[in-house]
Amino acid sequence: MGWRPRGQFEDEMDRELRFHLEQSAAQHIRAGMAPEAAHRAARQRLGRWEAIKDECRDTRRSIMLETTLKDLRYGIRVLLKNPGFTLAAVLTLAAGIGANTAIFSLVYGVLLRPLPYAKGSDLVVLHQKTATANDLRFSVPEINDYREGNKTLSSVVEHHSMVFLLLGTNVAERVQTAVVSANFFSVLGVEPKYGRTFVADDEKPGSDAVLVLSHNYWLTRHGGDPSIVGKVFQMNSRPHTVIGVLPPIPQYPQESDVYMPTSQCPTRSSARFQQNRNGRMMTVFGRMKPGVSLAEAQADLSAQAGRMAQAYPEAYPRERQYGIAARGLRDELTEKAQPLLLVLLATTGFVLLIACANVANLLLARLLRVERELAVRTALGASRWRLVRQLLAEGVVLSLAGGLLGVLLAPFALRMLVSFAERFTTRAAEVSIDTPVLLFSLALAVVTGLLFSLAPALAVSRVQQGAGRQTGSRSKGRLRTALVVAQVAVSFVLLVGAGLMIRSFQKLQNEQPGFQPERLLTMRVTPNGYRYQGREAFDVLWQKVLAKVREVPGVTAASTTTNAPFDPRGIVVGPGNVDFQIEGRPVSPGTLSPTVDLTSVSGGYFASIGQPVINGREFSDRDDAEAMRVAVINDTMARHRWPGEDPVGRRVTFDAGRNWIQIVGIVGDVKEYGLDKPVGDELYLPSRQGGFGNILIVRTAGEPLRMAEAVRRGLGEVDREIAVDRVSTISRFQEESMAPAKLTTMLLGLFAGLALVMSMSGLAAVMALAVSQRTQELGIRLALGAPQSSVFHLVTWQGVGMTLAGLVIGAAGAIALTRFLTHLLYATSATDAVTFAIAAILFLLVAVVACMVPAWRVMGIDPVAAIRQE
Amino acid sequence: MSREMLQGTLDMLVLQILALGPMHGWGITQRIEQISESVLRVNQGSLYPALYRLEEQGWIASDWRGTENNRQAKFYSLTAEGTRQLASEKENWTRLAGAVGRILGAV
Repeated sequence: MGWRPRGQFEDEMDRELRFHLEQSAAQHIRAGMAPEAAHRAARQRLGRWEAIKDECRDTRRSIMLETTLKDLRYGIRVLLKNPGFTLAAVLTLAAGIGANTAIFSLVYGVLLRPLPYAKGSDLVVLHQKTATANDLRFSVPEINDYREGNKTLSSVVEHHSMVFLLLGTNVAERVQTAVVSANFFSVLGVEPKYGRTFVADDEKPGSDAVLVLSHNYWLTRHGGDPSIVGKVFQMNSRPHTVIGVLPPIPQYPQESDVYMPTSQCPTRSSARFQQNRNGRMMTVFGRMKPGVSLAEAQADLSAQAGRMAQAYPEAYPRERQYGIAARGLRDELTEKAQPLLLVLLATTGFVLLIACANVANLLLARLLRVERELAVRTALGASRWRLVRQLLAEGVVLSLAGGLLGVLLAPFALRMLVSFAERFTTRAAEVSIDTPVLLFSLALAVVTGLLFSLAPALAVSRVQQGAGRQTGSRSKGRLRTALVVAQVAVSFVLLVGAGLMIRSFQKLQNEQPGFQPERLLTMRVTPNGYRYQGREAFDVLWQKVLAKVREVPGVTAASTTTNAPFDPRGIVVGPGNVDFQIEGRPVSPGTLSPTVDLTSVSGGYFASIGQPVINGREFSDRDDAEAMRVAVINDTMARHRWPGEDPVGRRVTFDAGRNWIQIVGIVGDVKEYGLDKPVGDELYLPSRQGGFGNILIVRTAGEPLRMAEAVRRGLGEVDREIAVDRVSTISRFQEESMAPAKLTTMLLGLFAGLALVMSMSGLAAVMALAVSQRTQELGIRLALGAPQSSVFHLVTWQGVGMTLAGLVIGAAGAIALTRFLTHLLYATSATDAVTFAIAAILFLLVAVVACMVPAWRVMGIDPVAAIRQE
Repeated sequence: MSREMLQGTLDMLVLQILALGPMHGWGITQRIEQISESVLRVNQGSLYPALYRLEEQGWIASDWRGTENNRQAKFYSLTAEGTRQLASEKENWTRLAGAVGRILGAV
């Protein structure tokens, strides 16, 4: 009996009816009928074949539905009769399923959902590489070479980002502008939300200037005005007309406010720039022709790179090992988020497994209490399949309730998770709880329900097999022990993982930044470039700006730089590497020049941020264009390039000896690209010689952000058309830079904590049950004179023993699994012995406490009453 | 009175026949007619849906076996639950028949 696959069911029905007809006809023949007439009579007597089959099918279906409903109703009734059990199970499952729903929606939105571009899988990003640089931008001649010399891409488009001032409202607004090929959006397959995107005519020199707005910029700065198309703004001293608004799409390589065609960018459209093979500024995308694989495109592009290296040996010297790499756009968008998301998904998966084991244990415990009822029902002829089905139905009802609650809770967790994911991928905006996610949760709930009712269902089927009651309970006991051991093992893995993250984060927090980040206000200051012609004009402007800001009451120091420490943008981009040469150490042909990260800072910069001068002097306002050219280097560079010598007085050059720059000071190391990044060689130039940085840094006497308005007013007095944005503090930048590590640590800690609580409540429940089952035995022991403490220890040790077994298995698992955390860890080994030890000790302590509660009950056992207990 | 029988009665008779031993659908119709001395005629079209219903309710089970003529046929047999069901249906029937008989006797 029971369920059969549909095909088999139909087939059996036919065979059965055919047998009936044959027998019936045979009877007629025996009675003297002609065979043909006999068959006809038999058929007539049976009735219409198909009608019978239909009725059989209907009967079967309606009864199956009826029993399923009956099972579900029975399940709900049983659950309502045990509110404590039900509440514990539903909450456990809600936590498990809710966490998985939230994390899965993140994984789905970021990693699995198709890119919102037409045929996104055919889009590639190109990277030029050399021995010292992994990701060189492209120059105009290079783009043209690849566009014309490849055979595998149907189109090649470019993108670069500029900052322009947009005038049209009352204040000058700084807009991040993406400068792209006219066919950029048609290659990506992006349809505008309003208006149109660019056409080839927009890119022709001399055509009217046009802009396309990004969805986010349109929404936040123009209030989602649907009539924005046609509006004219002033930009780069020309009128620019808005022709369209983009839909919400992830933007790569960065988020931009507005888009313009290449011909409108003053830099990009200059004739000199277009001929300069080394003017590398652009990012390049391509769309592979249909049927072309990434490997084929890679081989084709590499061949083109080889031809270029041959044609222009001066631009691509052999020792540079020039090459090109093509990568899928999807990988580019998500590569930073992927390892982290997978770790989180695995973690929540483990939490759900623990939740399952917990509920299975609760079900087993409850089963024990109704064992007699079950035995009676079995004796009365209830089929095993029926009992198993009822248990499964109960499990599914439980997990659906838990799943529903979990899905209701998930959005709250998701809001936090999305802002977390935004730090790693621009796709975070696409994350939401939608149909695929809900289907996932539903499937998860059903599978979970079946999974945790499997153990009790197996136990029931054993009862049925006729073995006595005793063996039934004992094997259930073993099953429960196994479940607890497994829970402990999995929780331990999670606890070790969280412990590693916490240790890594502590080490990160203890890193010294190398300067004093407190009370440092920072903002980006952008003058309208068209109002200042030439270097002198800028020099005058910046001197005025610094003088004005230093006058503001409450300001104790002010300076400018090209990159503030912990600046989010600096952290993303990382240090640059500029070739230079040291006087007296010529670079022999065929070898690479030394490189260094270059920062240009105003006079008084080091004093203003509290970066110590170790040797020599720092810059003053006298280090101007007329004075001797000077530089300051950091301690790491001094030791790296001049070990055991004094670099002060040495000279370096960035232009093959045309200008020599003298080192006048050595400053302490600053971890400006993040506390987790090792300090590299740094060379600082005075801004009046090396170029003006537009990041203003102000040391304040009081709360820095309160000073922002006064500083801004001062800037307005210098020039009304100065745009100010990204107002923040260096301390905030520092916190921001640690936020991903902090959030990852918190999430893993949260899940590990949840796992610990679940597995320990599982342990406590199993121990409580064991005590109540053994009351009689323990009573006898007490009656025979065993001291109460020995019985107490007996119970406690049993629980600790289970925990130890789990810990051993968990430790093996942790050693195998924590290596997936390696690149999330800072200065911490994935098998850090201290973390393992602390996690194990913590676990044992909690386990002892969890066993104490049931063990205390032993103390209250009255031997006489216990023995009499039936 | 019609020689076809009521639905509920058929179920009970099938269970009773199967209490004597496993049997296939054709055999069940034959047995009912034989034992009732052809008073009851089974509506063959409604026998099979009844068998499927009884099976889904868990009162009978089925499996394929060889017949005495070495043909494969689907045999039905009574389950423990079916035995219990038969007992309660018999009791009901007896009570009902007794009541009907008493009423008829009283007139």
